[in-house]
Amino acid sequence: MTDSLLQSPVPMGLQWSAAWDSVINSGYLGLFITLLSFQLGLKLFALSKRNPLLHPVLVSVLATCAVLLSLNISFAQYYQGAQFLSLLLGPVIVALAVPLYENLKALRQYWLPFLLANVLGGAATIGIAVALSHTFGLSTETTASMWTKSITTAFAIELAPELGGIAAVAAAIVMVTGIVGAVIGPWLFRLTGIEHSAAQGTALGICAHAVGTARALELGSQQGAFAALSMSVMGILCAFVLPWLV
Amino acid sequence: MLSGLIILCGFYLLGEFVATLFQWPIPGSILGMLLLFVALVGWGLFAKTRLISAEPTTQAGALHQTAKQLLPYLPLFIVPASVGILNYGELLQREGIALLCILVVSLFVGIPVCGWIMQRLIQMKEARHD
Repeated sequence: MTDSLLQSPVPMGLQWSAAWDSVINSGYLGLFITLLSFQLGLKLFALSKRNPLLHPVLVSVLATCAVLLSLNISFAQYYQGAQFLSLLLGPVIVALAVPLYENLKALRQYWLPFLLANVLGGAATIGIAVALSHTFGLSTETTASMWTKSITTAFAIELAPELGGIAAVAAAIVMVTGIVGAVIGPWLFRLTGIEHSAAQGTALGICAHAVGTARALELGSQQGAFAALSMSVMGILCAFVLPWLV
Repeated sequence: MLSGLIILCGFYLLGEFVATLFQWPIPGSILGMLLLFVALVGWGLFAKTRLISAEPTTQAGALHQTAKQLLPYLPLFIVPASVGILNYGELLQREGIALLCILVVSLFVGIPVCGWIMQRLIQMKEARHD
């Protein structure tokens, strides 16, 4: 009697380790961690009065990495659940056509300066970064990822693999560029006497994409519109030109 | 919301289709965005000639609404791919500092250059008009 109880395949008591394993191995864990860390990022961003250094994506990525490392969960395991969110990225990128269309009115008088600033200015900032990457002897994948430095993360994640780069490295490059650009942008404008609101917005949109656009909106609505426009236009230009150039 | 999502997914698929058809190495999502943009411009022009409202028709109205609801979450959708950096710790240790320096230098040049080109061209254009 006692023997059969001891050998029973389902032992008595609470199954702590099995319960824990079921959570760790669940596809939903990645989704849960991502949503939770992003919510934390949004809260911190609001608390810090929208400080670019506490951008929700940065906080969310760092917090998620910390959780994965401490729980010893591999990226592949995490991605099983979280890829649901990546899947939505495609249609949401398509949705960017709507604000692009709505901001188009702002362009009416300035479309030629705007286009030239995007092509020449974009080429300058990307060119310097890639040339320096060659000079410093960075690896081929990193240099390839560097080409996407002036487009918003969503575009870079999609475009970097086409160029022989790494999506995650490109995302990190774009994020750092966006945050540093948003922080030093207004200061650089004062230093170099760039006062025209359309010029400020365009520069922030080209060089600091989404984070820069958020910062530009704080400078004024025209800055915001031009930043949003150049973010989209740079993304389209790079997507069409870089695959043939790199 | 639903019909907006259908339009977005439809244009995404159209982008993938066209990119594959012509063997362009362009992400389908970006091509889909461009196609939707062209469609919106086309619809706006069409509406103007027909003297109908450029905004709604139920479909376009739904699209605008869906975009407004969805776009604030765009940053959330880039988190999972960005977490992939976890697999590249060694690469960052090796090249991280150089990367950071390069990015900062290119910003210090890029931001003034972009702003200056735009500002200078606007001033030239306005001087010509006066």
